[in-house]
Amino acid sequence: MKYAFFPGCVSRGGCPELYPAVLKVCERLDIELEEMYGASCTGSGILQEKNEFLGDTLNARTFAMAEQMGLPIMTICSTCQGVMSQANKRLRDDPAHLAEVNETLKEEGLEYRGTAEIKHIMWIMVEDIGIEELKKKFVRALPDLKLAPFYGCYIVRPSWALEFDSHPGRERSLEALIEAVGATVVDFSGKTRCCGFPILTINEKNSLAMVANHTSEAQSLGADAMVTPCPLCHLNLDSFQPKAASQNGIRIHMPILHLPQLVGLALGFSPKEMGLGRHIVSPRRIEEKVAEAAKV
Amino acid sequence: MAVYEHDVLVVGAGLAGMRATIAADAGGANVAMITKVHPVRSHSNAAQGGINAALTSRGDDWDDHALATVKGSDYLGDQDAIEVMCSEAGDTLIELEHMGVIFNRDEEGHLGTRRFGGQEVARTFFVADITGQALLQVLYEQIVKSQARIYEEWFVTSLVMVDGQCRGVVALELMTGQLHLIKSKAVILATGGSGRVYEPSTNGLIVTGEGMAMAYRAGAALMDMEMVQYHPTTLKGNGILMTEAARGEGAYLLNSEGDRFMEKYAPNMMELASRDVVSRAVQTEINEGRGVDGCVLLDLRHLGRELIETKLSYINEVALDFVNVNLADQPVPIRPGCHYIMGGIKTDVNGATTIPGLYAAGECANVSVHGGNRLGANSLLDTIVFGRRSGHTAATYAAEAGEKAISESVINADRDFIKLLMSREPGNDSWAKIRRDMGDTMNEHVAVFRNEDGMQTAVKAILQLKERFAQLAVRDNSQVFNTSLLFTMELGFMLDVAETICVSALARKESRGAHYRTDIPERDDENWMRHILVHASPEGPSIDYLPVVITRWQPQARSY
Amino acid sequence: MQVTLAIKRFNPESDKPQPHYEEFTVDVEEHFTVLDSLIKVREEVDESLALRCSCRASICGSCAMRVEGHATLACKTKLISVMDGQSKVRIEPMTNQPVIKDLVVDMKPFWDKIRDVEPWLQPQEPEPEDEYIAPNEAMIHLTGVMGCIMCGACVSDCTVLEVDPNFLGPAALAKAYRFVGDPRDDADKHRLKELSKYTGIWDCTRCYECVEVCPKGVAPMDRIMALRDRAIAAGFDGNYGARHTEAFSDLVEHSGWLDELRMIPKTFGMFNPLSLGPLLGMIPIGLRALRRRKLPPIRHKSIPGVKNVRRIFKKVEARK
Repeated sequence: MKYAFFPGCVSRGGCPELYPAVLKVCERLDIELEEMYGASCTGSGILQEKNEFLGDTLNARTFAMAEQMGLPIMTICSTCQGVMSQANKRLRDDPAHLAEVNETLKEEGLEYRGTAEIKHIMWIMVEDIGIEELKKKFVRALPDLKLAPFYGCYIVRPSWALEFDSHPGRERSLEALIEAVGATVVDFSGKTRCCGFPILTINEKNSLAMVANHTSEAQSLGADAMVTPCPLCHLNLDSFQPKAASQNGIRIHMPILHLPQLVGLALGFSPKEMGLGRHIVSPRRIEEKVAEAAKV
Repeated sequence: MAVYEHDVLVVGAGLAGMRATIAADAGGANVAMITKVHPVRSHSNAAQGGINAALTSRGDDWDDHALATVKGSDYLGDQDAIEVMCSEAGDTLIELEHMGVIFNRDEEGHLGTRRFGGQEVARTFFVADITGQALLQVLYEQIVKSQARIYEEWFVTSLVMVDGQCRGVVALELMTGQLHLIKSKAVILATGGSGRVYEPSTNGLIVTGEGMAMAYRAGAALMDMEMVQYHPTTLKGNGILMTEAARGEGAYLLNSEGDRFMEKYAPNMMELASRDVVSRAVQTEINEGRGVDGCVLLDLRHLGRELIETKLSYINEVALDFVNVNLADQPVPIRPGCHYIMGGIKTDVNGATTIPGLYAAGECANVSVHGGNRLGANSLLDTIVFGRRSGHTAATYAAEAGEKAISESVINADRDFIKLLMSREPGNDSWAKIRRDMGDTMNEHVAVFRNEDGMQTAVKAILQLKERFAQLAVRDNSQVFNTSLLFTMELGFMLDVAETICVSALARKESRGAHYRTDIPERDDENWMRHILVHASPEGPSIDYLPVVITRWQPQARSY
Repeated sequence: MQVTLAIKRFNPESDKPQPHYEEFTVDVEEHFTVLDSLIKVREEVDESLALRCSCRASICGSCAMRVEGHATLACKTKLISVMDGQSKVRIEPMTNQPVIKDLVVDMKPFWDKIRDVEPWLQPQEPEPEDEYIAPNEAMIHLTGVMGCIMCGACVSDCTVLEVDPNFLGPAALAKAYRFVGDPRDDADKHRLKELSKYTGIWDCTRCYECVEVCPKGVAPMDRIMALRDRAIAAGFDGNYGARHTEAFSDLVEHSGWLDELRMIPKTFGMFNPLSLGPLLGMIPIGLRALRRRKLPPIRHKSIPGVKNVRRIFKKVEARK
C-alpha cells in the first residue's frame, strides 16, 4: 500500500505536531509514503476565489506529478482534500478546461491525464485498509474516551466533489474510526460546521464565536476531546480556544486531537510520541486515560 | 383598534397586483398591497414559458398577435380588449426589460424569442423556463424600491361596501389572528385564479379563487366562468406543469404506438395548436386506449441536452425530482390538467368591475382577452397590461372619490362567522375532505369533455358540499397562524366559485374553446356569440348574457 | 409503507411555550415527498400543524424547513431519500430565523437584508428606446442567480449567521451579485463598496453550507466569491478580507506553499496603526504557541521547483 504523500502547509506550519505523527502512524500501518516535495499549496479555496483557473492549474500540476509517480495521493487535511477533489472533478468533467490547463503545464514537461486519485488518510484507513484490518493492528482500546467528531467543511461539502455515492460509509468515516478505537462517539450539532478559521484574520469575533460554540457544546455533552481530520480546524479550535473562551465569557477546556494522533494512541504510541504535548489546550485528561488503558 | 386607510388597496401581490401597485404609486396615490403570502410566493412564479409581444420596432405586427388571440379564444374574446392588450404589448415588454428582467437574448444581444402555441410567429419572450418567477422577482424589486406598504400574510375575508361602492376590506392577520378593517377609496382585486377548485391542478395550494367569490358576494358580475383551461402537458402523478415552451422548442407528443398523434387533430400546427385543441387530442388518445398508463408521452430527446439544460432546466429538474426522468434521455409521461380560468370578474379595459371603486386584474378578472381559450404566454401579458391600467385608473378614481364614513361594525359579520366556525362541535367532516370531494367532482364532470348529465351531477354535488360546509367546524382554536381557519374560509369561497363554474357551463348550450360538450359538439355562432354573466342572488346564481365585442374579425371555422 | 415524522413543534399560545418533538406515524406511498406526508398529517391527523406551502413544485419557496438536520424544500425532498433505512424522519423549522409556530418562521430579517442590498436595477441613464443590448451569455449566467426562490434554506444553515445575525448572509449577497453581474446595472462601484464593509462579502467562511442546501443550484457562496474578486478588481482592497486574499496569494506565489508566520502581519499590515490592536491581540497566542513549540518554522523554505509555480501564477494571471 503506497501513496504519494501530500502533507499540505499547516501540518508543517501551525500544527507541526501532525506531520511526524502521520509518518509514525503510516509506518505502523504499513502505509508506504513517497512525499511530494515539489507540490504546491492547493490554494485552500482562497486562491480559487480570486482565480479558479489558477487554483485548478496548480492542483493539476500536483495531480500530474502523482500520475508520473504512478501513485494515488494521500492528504492529511480536510481543506486540502476538498479543494483537490473539487479541482479534480472540474478537470475530469470538462476536457476543454483540462486541455487549457495542460497548455500551461506543458512548459514544465507535465501533463495531467485525469486519472489522479486523491484520498484523505481518514478515507484510506476506512476504505483501503478497512476497519476490521485496522482493529487487528490496535494494541489497546480506549473505552473510557468520549470523543466528539469534527470533520472540517471541505471533507463534507460540497458533496458534488466528494464521491459519497460511490463510497458508501464515507460520510461516517470519522465516527467509524472513533468507534474502532473503542471510544464513544459524542454526536453534536457542530460536527460538520465551520471552525471559523478562514475568517480568523478578517472577522476574529465571529471566528472565535464559532470556536466557543463548538468546544462548549462538545464539553456540555461530556466529550473528553474533539477529534478532527483537519489541521486548520485544529489550529482554530485549539490555539484560539483560550481567547474564544474569554471573548464569550465562558470556561472551556476541550482538548482537540488530530485524527492520526488518536489512531496512533490505539496503535500503542505514547501521547508524547504523538506530539500531544505541543497542543495549546492541555490534553492531560486524555493522556491519563490512555495511561489507564495501557495498564489493562 | 388600529385604523388603516389608503387611497388604493391592492389585494394580491402576484404580477397583476404588483404592477397595479407600482402604477397607483406612480399615479400619486397612497397605495398598499395586502396579500395572504409574501409577494414572491405568489403563483405567478409558476408561469414558465414566456410573455407574448409583437415588437413593431423589429417588424412584427400586433394585428397578427391580436388575430391569433381572437382565434385562440374561439371568438369569445372581446376584440376591443384584445386590441388594447396586443397593441400595448411591445411597450410593456420593453418596460419590463428596463426594470431589470433578464430576458434571454439572441446572438446580437437583442431580446430572443421562442414559438408558442396557436401562433405562427415566434413572439414569446422568455427567461429560460422560469419567466413568471423572473418577472415576479423583478416586480418585487420595484415594489421594494417604491416602499409601498405591504400587509403580508393578511387574508382578506370580505369587501366593505358603502352605498353601493367598494370602500375597503376586512382582513385576518394570520400572525395574530386579529381581524382588521382597512379603508380604501378604491380596491383592486388581483387574487389570481381558482385552479384548486379542481383536483389535480397545476396550481399552487394557495390558488383558491377568493377574489372572484368575494366580488361575486358583493354583487359584481362574474363572466364566462365555464371557460376553464386544461393544460395539455401536466406531469403524471402530482400534475405539475410541463411548459408549452417544450413544444415551442420542438418537443413531440407521442401515443403508445409512438405516433405524433397531433397530425390527426391539427395537421398544420401539430403540437403547437391552441391548448384546448391539444388537450382534447391528448385526452382522446388516452380515452381511446392509445395512452401509456393514463398519460401520453412528451418527447424532448431530439432537442439535445444542451438546449434542455439551458432553456428548459426547470422542467428537467421537476421531471427528475418527481418522476425520475431526465428529459434528454427519456420521454416524460403527461396528461391534461386543470391550469387556468379564462372566466372571472367582469371588467372593462381599465379594470373597472360592475361595482364602483372595485377593480380587478390578472387571472381573477375577465376583460375579456382570452375568451374561450387562452393562448400560452398571453397570461403574463394580461397581468402586466391590465395590472398597470387598473392601478392607474384606480388612482385617478380615488383622487376624486371623496370621503365616506365607515362604521367599524362592518367587521362583525366576519368576526361572528369565525367565532361560529370555531365554536361548532367537530364532526367527522373536515375542510380537507370537502375540498377533495369538490376537486374530484369538478375534475370528473366539468373538465375537458362535458355533457348535460355530468354537469347536472356536479351542480347537485356542489350544493351538497355547501350543506356539509355549513356544518363544518374548525378544529384548531388558536390565534397565531391558524391555517385550519384559513383553509376553511378559503373553502367557502371555492365552493361559490365551483358553483358559478357549473351553472355557467350548464347554461352554454354549445361547444366553444375549452367548453366542449360531447352532447352538443358544435360551435353555434348564431346563438352563442355571447358572454355568460353570473350574479349572486338570494335564490342562488342568476345568469345573464352579453354580446361579444367584434371589431374587425368575424368568426371563422377554427382549425390548426 | 409507514413513516414516523418527528416534528419539532412550538405553540406560542400554550401556557409555557416550549419547543418539543411530536411524532406522527402515517401511511405513505413510495413516491411521497416530505411535504406530501406533512400535508397528510395536517389534513388527517392534526389540523393545527402549521407550515407554509403552495406550489409543490420547488418554485414558490414557501416550504423550506430542516429535514434530518439540513434545510431543504419539503416539496422537493422525497421521503425515501432521507429515510436511509430508518422509519423515522426528523423535521424541524429553519434555524437562524425566529420560530412563529411549528414549522413557520419569521422571515422578516431575511427580507430586511434583501432590502439592504438595494435590490433593484440601477441602469445607466438615459434609458434606450428599445431594450438594452446585452450578451445572452450574461443573461443565461444571471438566470442561475435569478433562479433563487428566496426560500431561506441557505440562511437557515449559514454558519456565520449562527454567530452573527448582522451578516448579510448568502441569499442577500447572491441577490447583490444578480445586479453586480448584470451588464445593464451601473452601480457596481457603489454596491461593491457597501458589500466590502463588515457584515458583507468578506465575513463568509466559505463553508459551503449554502451551496449544499440550496434547492435551486444558486450556489450563493460561489457568487460571494465572485463578488470578492470583483471588489478587489474595483479597488476595494484595503480591508482585511481583501488583504488576506492578496497576502495568501503572494506568499504561495513566492515559495509554493503558505508561510503562516508572515500571513498575519501581511494581512494586518505591519505599519498600519489601525492594525495595532489585532496584532497585539495575537501576541499572547503567539507566546503560548512558542511555549508549546506549536509554531511554523521561522525559516520558511521554498518548495523545489518553485519557479514553475511562479511561472504559472504569472501566466494565468496575465490570461485573466
